[in-house]
Amino acid sequence: MKKIFLPFLIYLAFISESSLVQAFLPQDNSMDWQLVPRFSMVLILFVAMYVNTTYGLLYGLAFGLLTDLLYTDIIGVYLFSMAATAYITSIFSRYLFGNLIVTLLLSVAGVSILEFFVYGLNSLIGISTQMLDVFLYKRLLPTLILNGFFAILIYYPFVKQLNQIKDTLKEN
Amino acid sequence: MPHFFSNKRLIILLVSIIILVALIGFSMKKRESLTLPEQFLKDSAGLTQTIFYKPANTLAGFFENLAEMKQLYKENQMLKARLDEYAKLYVQYEEAKKTNETLKAQLDKEEDLTDFKVREATVIGRSPDQWNQFIYINKGEKDGIKPKMAVISPQGFIGKVTNVSLFQSTVQLISDNDRTNRFSAIVQGEKNIFGTIEGYDAKKQALVFKKIPVDAKIKKGQKVITSGLGDVFPPNLLIGEVIDIEPDEVGLTQTAYLKPSADLYDIDHVMVLEREMPAVDESLREKEEE
Repeated sequence: MKKIFLPFLIYLAFISESSLVQAFLPQDNSMDWQLVPRFSMVLILFVAMYVNTTYGLLYGLAFGLLTDLLYTDIIGVYLFSMAATAYITSIFSRYLFGNLIVTLLLSVAGVSILEFFVYGLNSLIGISTQMLDVFLYKRLLPTLILNGFFAILIYYPFVKQLNQIKDTLKEN
Repeated sequence: MPHFFSNKRLIILLVSIIILVALIGFSMKKRESLTLPEQFLKDSAGLTQTIFYKPANTLAGFFENLAEMKQLYKENQMLKARLDEYAKLYVQYEEAKKTNETLKAQLDKEEDLTDFKVREATVIGRSPDQWNQFIYINKGEKDGIKPKMAVISPQGFIGKVTNVSLFQSTVQLISDNDRTNRFSAIVQGEKNIFGTIEGYDAKKQALVFKKIPVDAKIKKGQKVITSGLGDVFPPNLLIGEVIDIEPDEVGLTQTAYLKPSADLYDIDHVMVLEREMPAVDESLREKEEE
């Protein structure tokens, strides 16, 4: 895959988050769970782990800003959280061997770091009024399961492409 | 990780935190209109969302239909029972409408505060993190939508338009916990009781209806509607019904919890209302000057 397709792919995931929540939220509302798709974040985490830190950081900044502008009222929360999450995950991935289990654990850890950042910042501003225990059981746990499934699903095809991109970067 | 907190990185971290705080401070001010780059971004994202929402909706609709099939028989029975009630209500409604019309004719009053213009719109997306309760609709400035217009679904009031770009606009639902998201409302009864709707209680799954006078007597099941005061929203839009009442922390006012009449999660089509008559009539003002 050419490098140029990467932003488009992440953008598609980014837009699909909004449509998925709009279309499928009514069905799982009976369980009182808050499922939050973080597909673009998972893709960015993969990039940060398999290509390099700079790419992850840049995509984190770009899509964080986009999330802020399009889906929230306040600029800065996601810009900071997504970039920081991509950076931290990429640092950790240097010390770990990259196979399916490790990648899955790191992406789940990354998504929970993002959730905690956003929850903390939103609580400070007063946008979220959820208690911590409700946040952990009703929101964080289901969200991690959903995004973990997504990470397993894209692991083989996406990592193959990312390795190709890394190889072409090395050649240059 | 020996170099994790080296000097350079520490400085970058500090600077980015300062920028973060500055950005949050800047954007927390309530802005009336969006900047041009923001509008452009929202429009282009809206375009891609429109392509996405149709297949997603069809798929979701299929699953919904499967789930609904099980309940059809039960629902049918219930509806049949309701039909008799409906006939009775319809007669009453017709009669009330007629009396209203004759009374209005006697008063020589043509325009009413309750008149509004309706525009229909389709929901193309929703803010994916559920901290912010925003939905996005496919009508914008070019269709005449302006900020602060009221938005309803067929079951009742759901929110207001917060910002508008050329081809799409953002609707803030009543369940959003933003501190500027307040609505003046009335408990319907023999005497109107006023209060404000201030966000959503996630634990009780109910809207929080605050600042009700302490001596006001409210029963469970009473309906709450928009007041129409403050000349932004039309009056008499159904918001929900009271499910719980308790005194507030200080004991000076009461707080009620409302079950929203409209399903705030399953929204496909909405109507945007524009008030036709300004709150202060221009002709009245001219008369006063004479």
